[in-house]
Amino acid sequence: MMAKANPINDTHKAGPMAVFFLTQTMQIAIEFVFIQQLVTKDSQQDAWIAVLLGGLSTFPVMWLILRLLEKERRYGQADLFSIQRRIFGKLIGSMLNLIVSIYVFLYSVTYLRSLIELLQVEIFPQLSTLVFSVLFCLIVWYIVMGGFRNIVGVSLINFIYLLPLFLSNVFVVPHAHFSNLLPIMEHRPQQIFLSFFMNTHVYVGFEFILFYYPFIKKPEEAKKWAYFSLLTTLYIYLIFIILGIVYYSQGEVQKTIWPTLTFWKSIKFPFFEHVDIIFSIILLWSLIPLVSLCSWVLTRGIKFTFPKIKKKYSLIAILILTIVTAYLIRDGQQVMMLTRLFNIIGFIAIYCYIPLLFLCQWLKNLFTGETA
Amino acid sequence: MRRKVMVGVLSCLLLAGCVPTHIIDDILIVEAEGYDYIGHNKVIGTVTMPNFVQSGNQGGQGAGLPSTASLIRSLSVQTYNGKSLVDRLQSEGQVAIQAGKIRLMLFNLPMAKHGLSIQMSFRNRDPDVPRDLTLAVVDGSCKKLLKATDYQTQIPVSRYAQDMIMQNNTQNYPDSDLSSFLYAYFGAYMDPFMPIIQKNGDHLEMRGLALFNHDKLAMRIPDSKVFVFKMLYQNFTLGVYDLEYRPGRHIALRNVKTSVNYKVRHGNSASPDIYTTIHVIGQVRQAYPGSVSKVKTPQVARIMEKGLASDARQLVRKIQKKGIDPLQIGDKVRSFTYHFDGKSWPERYRHARFHCKVSVIIQQTGITD
Repeated sequence: MMAKANPINDTHKAGPMAVFFLTQTMQIAIEFVFIQQLVTKDSQQDAWIAVLLGGLSTFPVMWLILRLLEKERRYGQADLFSIQRRIFGKLIGSMLNLIVSIYVFLYSVTYLRSLIELLQVEIFPQLSTLVFSVLFCLIVWYIVMGGFRNIVGVSLINFIYLLPLFLSNVFVVPHAHFSNLLPIMEHRPQQIFLSFFMNTHVYVGFEFILFYYPFIKKPEEAKKWAYFSLLTTLYIYLIFIILGIVYYSQGEVQKTIWPTLTFWKSIKFPFFEHVDIIFSIILLWSLIPLVSLCSWVLTRGIKFTFPKIKKKYSLIAILILTIVTAYLIRDGQQVMMLTRLFNIIGFIAIYCYIPLLFLCQWLKNLFTGETA
Repeated sequence: MRRKVMVGVLSCLLLAGCVPTHIIDDILIVEAEGYDYIGHNKVIGTVTMPNFVQSGNQGGQGAGLPSTASLIRSLSVQTYNGKSLVDRLQSEGQVAIQAGKIRLMLFNLPMAKHGLSIQMSFRNRDPDVPRDLTLAVVDGSCKKLLKATDYQTQIPVSRYAQDMIMQNNTQNYPDSDLSSFLYAYFGAYMDPFMPIIQKNGDHLEMRGLALFNHDKLAMRIPDSKVFVFKMLYQNFTLGVYDLEYRPGRHIALRNVKTSVNYKVRHGNSASPDIYTTIHVIGQVRQAYPGSVSKVKTPQVARIMEKGLASDARQLVRKIQKKGIDPLQIGDKVRSFTYHFDGKSWPERYRHARFHCKVSVIIQQTGITD
């Protein structure tokens, strides 16, 4: 096979712990700023149950993904583009690759545009979407050109930078109304499922291991880091949803677009004011590795389909497309629609497509007679 | 490599030119806003701004003595209710006026009676406004309070009033800032409240609590009863309760720790039972001669318990009659009741039975027996 003939050089690979930081980066971008409003809409004070279930449901999916990748290693390169081409043949495989690429593209644009929207509303009304995304994409270009290990490094920095944001939750305790969590399990399972559906897109992102798995050294050891990362994400989101429920009354949280950000406005230090603005700028950091990894995945996809196109050129095309798409989204209403759309696609991708792919791989292996 | 470094430097340079800058010496940051209602949906709005120029008091920022170089400090205008004062007063600004860090928002009594819904919707929408903003109702004129120059302190009035309210929030007064006001304002089965302040000669003073019915002032609690309100509202550690156990004879209980606990039974019945258990640990310093001693402590504690419980019952009966719920009792009933019937709650709230049990422990009575 062609992919086999071109193995990835060890110097381009990252250690198993990279899985932890990359999964964190992809899962925790800026959703913790607005998760509360979306999730409490249908199941009010029981929303944390939906978030807990959502987090727990990522574990079996991760297990499926890792199993899928492990099985695939004997047939060639274990990434999604190769898998799809191997299982579904060249034509259908390439079409699926295109759909997956669109998904990845949508992923990066949704988050980039949400952040620009947040910055425009909260801090800089004059911020131009175009200029900002051009500058942002210059940084992304610089990082992606440095290669995969560079993206892992930026993810690590991002993880460290976000820590103070998570620690800021401590300030909610004196103002918490823990009775808001009662009565527990008042809502019907359908309502909790609706919330579960609404919070899908906060958990998506861990499936990106499907793309960078070949770049991980000692993938067996990476497994535990993958699960550990999911656990960390679950913990962080659970804390944030409980924050939203105990700090706000239900009427208020459903009126507030970015409840966490509004909560930051009430944090007070003697020496500096407006913690919310400082934190919003730190949020910018969480987007750099996210958009970088998405762009990197897209360049990998293009290289896989058209091996002649160099990464240098395809990356520029991708970034220009990102800028144009981000620029075409005009206002907050469209950002919200995009987020909704992305939520549905993310739900299909992780809960339907990945099990289906697993099944197809199993069937394919069964029919070709190579049982595992 | 050189190209990459250039990109980095270029990004920094370009990013800095992205948006207009606001240099702190060249703007007027609004710190306090006051609204006086004058009828027909018109208000007199007043804003005050601190100065960040070099002042007589080194390192005192705007808090020092005003020097000759100071900018204008307050502006006032008549406009319609709900108009952004920053926008309205821009035409009178010496330099650009901005709402960066509003500390204090004042409403006079007619304004509070007229309703604050327009103001609150604006405040909740505005991202420039911090949530630790202090709200208060002014007994008198906000304009006079904010523009007065005869205070003993040289600190700008916005900080003076905020400091006073915040220190009282750790004492007898319940926590009240914008976030807690909006919590109760938007929340179901609860109503917000604010402290009342007044300018008295050359200083400010707290005058009790203003209880709202959603957005309109419904009743006032005098300063002497605020302790009872706070005792029912939250756990706290400071404050003084003064009991007149016989005409002309007072005992003052200094609170060390108060904890309150609610239990609800029959939450969906026509008259829910609300059980409140309050534990007070306190100490006595000020007492009528001969009324306290180590031996008499339990006796005094019983008197205190009786006094606090009857005050609490009276207060709750009053707010029940008015149909307002600043103590968030409705929310407590909801949290204890599965499938809480919220529609009939306002009617049932009036008939809710309130049971109050207070236990007072007097930890010590000072250094003499």
